[in-house]
Amino acid sequence: MSTPWQAVGARGSVSIRRARTYGFVFLAAGLFIFLLFARGLPAVQTTTFVLHPGGASQALPIPDLTLPSQTTLYILALLCVFLGGWQLARGFRRVNLVLGIIAGAFVIAFLTWAASGKSFNLTGLLNSALLRAVPIALAGLSGVLCERCAVINIAIEGMMLTGAFTAALMGSVAANVWKWPAPASLTFGLISALMAGALLGLLLAVLAVRFKVDQIIAGTAINILATGITSFLSARILSEFQYLNNPGIFRPVSLPLLSKIPIIGPVFFEQNILVYVLFILLAAVHIMLFYTRWGLRTRAVGEHPRAADTLGVNVFRTRYINVTLGGMVAGLAGAFLILGSVGRFDELMTAGKGFIGLAAMIFGKWTPFGAFGAALIFGFADALQTKLAILAVPIPSQFLLMAPYLVTMIVLAGVIGEAIPPAADGQPYEKQ
Amino acid sequence: MRKIVMVLVALVVIASMVMACAPKATPAPTAAPEKPKLKVGMVTDVGGIDDKSFNATSWHGMELARDELGVEVAYLESQQQTDYAVNITQFIDQKYDMIITVGFLLGEDTKTFAEKNPNVKFAIVDYSYDPPIPNVLGLTFATDEDAFLAGYLAAGMTQTGKVGTFGGIKIPPVTIFMVGFENGVKYYNQKHGTNVQVLGWESAKDEGLFVGNFESTDDGRRAGEDLIGEGADIIMPVAGPVGLGTAAAVREHAGTMLIGVDTDWCISAAEYCPVVLTSVMKNMDVAVRDAIKMALDGTFKGGTYVGTLKNGGVGIAPFHEFDGKVPDSLKKELDQLKQDIIAGKINTGWQDYLATLK
Repeated sequence: MSTPWQAVGARGSVSIRRARTYGFVFLAAGLFIFLLFARGLPAVQTTTFVLHPGGASQALPIPDLTLPSQTTLYILALLCVFLGGWQLARGFRRVNLVLGIIAGAFVIAFLTWAASGKSFNLTGLLNSALLRAVPIALAGLSGVLCERCAVINIAIEGMMLTGAFTAALMGSVAANVWKWPAPASLTFGLISALMAGALLGLLLAVLAVRFKVDQIIAGTAINILATGITSFLSARILSEFQYLNNPGIFRPVSLPLLSKIPIIGPVFFEQNILVYVLFILLAAVHIMLFYTRWGLRTRAVGEHPRAADTLGVNVFRTRYINVTLGGMVAGLAGAFLILGSVGRFDELMTAGKGFIGLAAMIFGKWTPFGAFGAALIFGFADALQTKLAILAVPIPSQFLLMAPYLVTMIVLAGVIGEAIPPAADGQPYEKQ
Repeated sequence: MRKIVMVLVALVVIASMVMACAPKATPAPTAAPEKPKLKVGMVTDVGGIDDKSFNATSWHGMELARDELGVEVAYLESQQQTDYAVNITQFIDQKYDMIITVGFLLGEDTKTFAEKNPNVKFAIVDYSYDPPIPNVLGLTFATDEDAFLAGYLAAGMTQTGKVGTFGGIKIPPVTIFMVGFENGVKYYNQKHGTNVQVLGWESAKDEGLFVGNFESTDDGRRAGEDLIGEGADIIMPVAGPVGLGTAAAVREHAGTMLIGVDTDWCISAAEYCPVVLTSVMKNMDVAVRDAIKMALDGTFKGGTYVGTLKNGGVGIAPFHEFDGKVPDSLKKELDQLKQDIIAGKINTGWQDYLATLK
């Protein structure tokens, strides 16, 4: 994915020292697999990967994949060593791709080792990774919309919480008080959440644009406000009247044909509608940001508002619109937690996902797909640590819980490199 | 202009803080007592007063005390761990006679303030002090006993031969459920020659599945789906409201069941009753009320209260909608098991587990 912005940011070819380092890292991965994983296993053990999610999935049934654990590990170790040797001797042109292959091989080796003698549901892992990534990716997308026009949105967490609360309350009102049928009541809850997010977005925009309040402080204030109000109303209303906290859930919708593809089908095409909305939003925001007049103006406002103003772009209006849109997307992230996942509101249920989304945005270099990628890495690491804990891998649980953050940091520091924010990010604009 | 804005922001912040912390105004009891009433304050753990779990149950005990004993009660919610000390201080400043702190994580702060304020009575849920502090009563619960029963039941009810559990944070009041559950399953295996597996906890390795918090219901749903994906058909989430997310996952997977914790989930989270096999109850409300009663009678002294199957402090909930599906033979075995545990004939393994940690 080459965006205009990335083209500007590209910095020549990989230096020789860096190329060497990569080579040694590949070799080390191979050695690691050989010494730590392969050698400790008894020769006869096998690892079974279950490739069907089970339950009512529409995917074509394919047999489980049973691999001889040790042989698989030897092959993977050899692959890593070979790639490392080649990198040191000749050098790869697309070294990041090879790094990706090595990382993939390492993860497969790790899983083969962890699940040796047992079975392991691979499709379930991928499915869990995607679903864990959805709220984070939406939060990241909200951040992209705001920061591309130079308004730092640290209030995503609070907007999500408010969106979640509104979705639960209004969805329940429609379903249980007005007795609307499920699709209508869920949609009503969803739209209400979007509106609540938009309102908070507008509040942030007013504070940041009109009154030029420090954006971090304005965002923090909104977070505290959202935590307070939702906790208060939850204790006062939702706990008293339980039927107001039961909006129901969007059921998964199988896309015809696509959902039948083994492995990928059930992961990407057997989800509830909010997941599809995320996919559509990612593409839409990407196209709008980089290929439309609105996107060009947004980016201009984020990089150099004075120049944009001189050329007749209305800086204030652009910021108002974008931050309100960002608030809506954050509200959607909150609505996903309710209507796409658990179907009821509980205090503080976002548990920091908004902030992780903000981090995903930075790691994704302020692009929609970058943020989604970072969210996926995080979601995968989180899903993996859960599976490992279920398999009772001899790694302390505290360390496993740390793993998602650790993996994200390593990937970002090692692969992504420096991330440069929009030049005017966080600065209020003063018309001259 | 800027000044006005800063004032506005400050107001918003203050207003929301007040909203977040303000104790719910509790209706005054109708009968007007002559002497000044005992003022009892409760500091919750994070997760909210309506967590369907230990905060809610403890608060229910406070309400019982208010209605039955006529004491004045109030609570302060902790939104994060740094709030514990702040909230306790607030009650002390307002001259409360007794402060109930809810949760293991408040152990350190409770100790600090209890030692500084020897005239204020404290009771803390899920914590005990060794040596005891004269003005603190630790309210602890032998939930390994009823979790053992639940494990035995789950092993007898599973179709897939796998049952699952996970915790919020790895602390003793959480792992005690998991240890009891695992050993209950093992005892069933031993008695019936079956091989039911427990996913998500292994006492021997001292490792298991934890989501790392007590708030994110979404994490609970994901953990539940992962356990179901690996074949578990009965899940016991030991993570407060996080378990309600698991309930949502269980409800969507036909043939799977849930075991609630702390309260009878068939009542406290009635919408999930059709999938709740039973609940591992921890009757904190009774313990809290009794502690307040002791303070009122003047019989209060520092030390430790332990809720057990014997004194009714813990127990498993009725099967409700599963009543017809649990075989009578299994029900009889459970009754016998309960008697045996009370008589001390069966070891739930919790003390052994604690011994391995040292």
